[in-house]
Amino acid sequence: MAIAPDRISRPPSLGHGVGLRRDHFERVLSAPTRIDWFEVISENFMVEGGKPRDVLTRVRERYPVVLHGVSLSIGSTDPLNEDYLAALKELAARVQPAWVSDHLCWAGVGGHYAHDLLPLPYTEEALAHVVARVHRVQERLGRAIALENVSSYVSYRRSAMPEWEFLSEVARRSGCGILLDVNNIYVSARNHGFDARAYIDGVPVDAVWQFHLAGHSDKGDFLLDTHDHPVCDPVWDLYAHAVRRFGPVSTLIEWDDRIPAFERLEEESERARAIASVVVAGGAAVAGGAAVA
Amino acid sequence: MSAPPRLRDDQGLFWGLIAAPEGVRRGLEALVGRGAARPGDLDALIVDDERLSSFDRLDIYANMYFFRLLDCLKEDYPRLLEALGPARFHNLVTDYLLVHPSSHPSLRYVGTRLADFLAGHAIGRECPGLADLARLEWARADIFDAADARPLTRADIAALPQDTAGEMRLALVPACRLLRLEHDAPRAWRELKERADGRAGDTGAAGGAGAACAHGEGDHADPLPRIARRPTTARVWRHGFAVHHRSIDDDEIDSLEGLGAGDSLGVIAQRLSAGRTPERATARLGALLQGWIEDGLIAAAPTG
Repeated sequence: MAIAPDRISRPPSLGHGVGLRRDHFERVLSAPTRIDWFEVISENFMVEGGKPRDVLTRVRERYPVVLHGVSLSIGSTDPLNEDYLAALKELAARVQPAWVSDHLCWAGVGGHYAHDLLPLPYTEEALAHVVARVHRVQERLGRAIALENVSSYVSYRRSAMPEWEFLSEVARRSGCGILLDVNNIYVSARNHGFDARAYIDGVPVDAVWQFHLAGHSDKGDFLLDTHDHPVCDPVWDLYAHAVRRFGPVSTLIEWDDRIPAFERLEEESERARAIASVVVAGGAAVAGGAAVA
Repeated sequence: MSAPPRLRDDQGLFWGLIAAPEGVRRGLEALVGRGAARPGDLDALIVDDERLSSFDRLDIYANMYFFRLLDCLKEDYPRLLEALGPARFHNLVTDYLLVHPSSHPSLRYVGTRLADFLAGHAIGRECPGLADLARLEWARADIFDAADARPLTRADIAALPQDTAGEMRLALVPACRLLRLEHDAPRAWRELKERADGRAGDTGAAGGAGAACAHGEGDHADPLPRIARRPTTARVWRHGFAVHHRSIDDDEIDSLEGLGAGDSLGVIAQRLSAGRTPERATARLGALLQGWIEDGLIAAAPTG
């Protein structure tokens, strides 16, 4: 039986977190941090034993954890990978995450994986396909999932609606949550020439469970979502706009390449916390208010 | 749940072009040549603009596809990378991914078939020991996250009933493998590590871009390492979270295989007594057992 959309509510905010990466395992476990929660890449912990599994167990004893996958491939035309779903379910049973998320994309076809987040055409055909598969995944896992908007470098001539409408419809029809990646919105807006604020304003307030923030690289003709820089000022501005609309939502800093000292991540997270608290204290979270940078 | 046909076709074309080894434009030409696509298919699929053509845009994905997998294989096969140099390693990976694209949701498994592929590749035929080096590296990667088990300590063994020690059965922890190789890959592994460590020491920070670039210059001309053809069995294991390997002799091979097959210590000691007095065989087994306990290899035998 599919999980009924009206039974799924937005989880309470976990506060401000960062992605747990190998470089920081020792630091996170050896001393207190200024971080409220951690997100881990699900696939990295679908293993039988060894250090990653042990670290995750110990981190989970101290912090809330969210499982964030990259290979669910919810939009692929391949059958859902049942072995993968079984491994994810086992991992979730062990970790007891606050929630489980992945991406609104396809990750491979023909039995092969690109290990990348490939965009979908925003058509009714793709929408029906994705919604049916989200229902199937949620049924298999016994829980609702959240799906993240991806950065993209192509758009399809066939697309019949803007990305935010597609994302919102997936959430409305399937009952899944939305992991709104503010940096991805900015990157895709620049790459395809749409209005990033219109994107945020087009997403239903109650559907958003989490924000992602990250840095990107400017390649001249396009922006590349590299997660190897600090969050840039326009993305901070966009984050303030998002908090104004959605209120205090669990916010996570991603930094995956050229990874700095953990304290640098804490600084980014503290900046997000400060922006969110100013926006929320201003009483303008939903109704709109002055820009905070 | 059947796949929508247009979406399936779109994804098939997209995949075929980003996985093409020579880029999207030549990938499309190849598909057109085989009658699998028409020249205008990509333009009909992807929006272009004054900044980037549809080919430019898909090339972003094609580059990310290849370099993400290349980076992963560099992490899993650092000694093979050292042996080949960046350019030859790059070309090997290009050929490998064409035959064996990733078929597992986790990047962790993308290198599963590289050793066997290398054995049949021109580079592997030129230097047959490289395939064994790759097997050793893959075993190390496999052991890194193999299942946990609490190894028995000396105190655990001492607490077992000693009057029936000959009937005692023990087991190997899951994070231990015996690897039979035709070449002395463990020695090559050590020499290549020393070479890489030495260069990192010369250039400052280990693993920095400077070290990689310095090695990359003209590495096609560097000779491939000579890996001695010498049947070698390596024990690969994890102690705590650290992965180790070393070559072992025939006594240890036979004894570990016996242990893994469920033989009692008495049966293993009996095998060791060939050409030895019973006392020397018992002493040899004792020495082996002590080493295994120190290395965290021994677990309680499964019951039932």
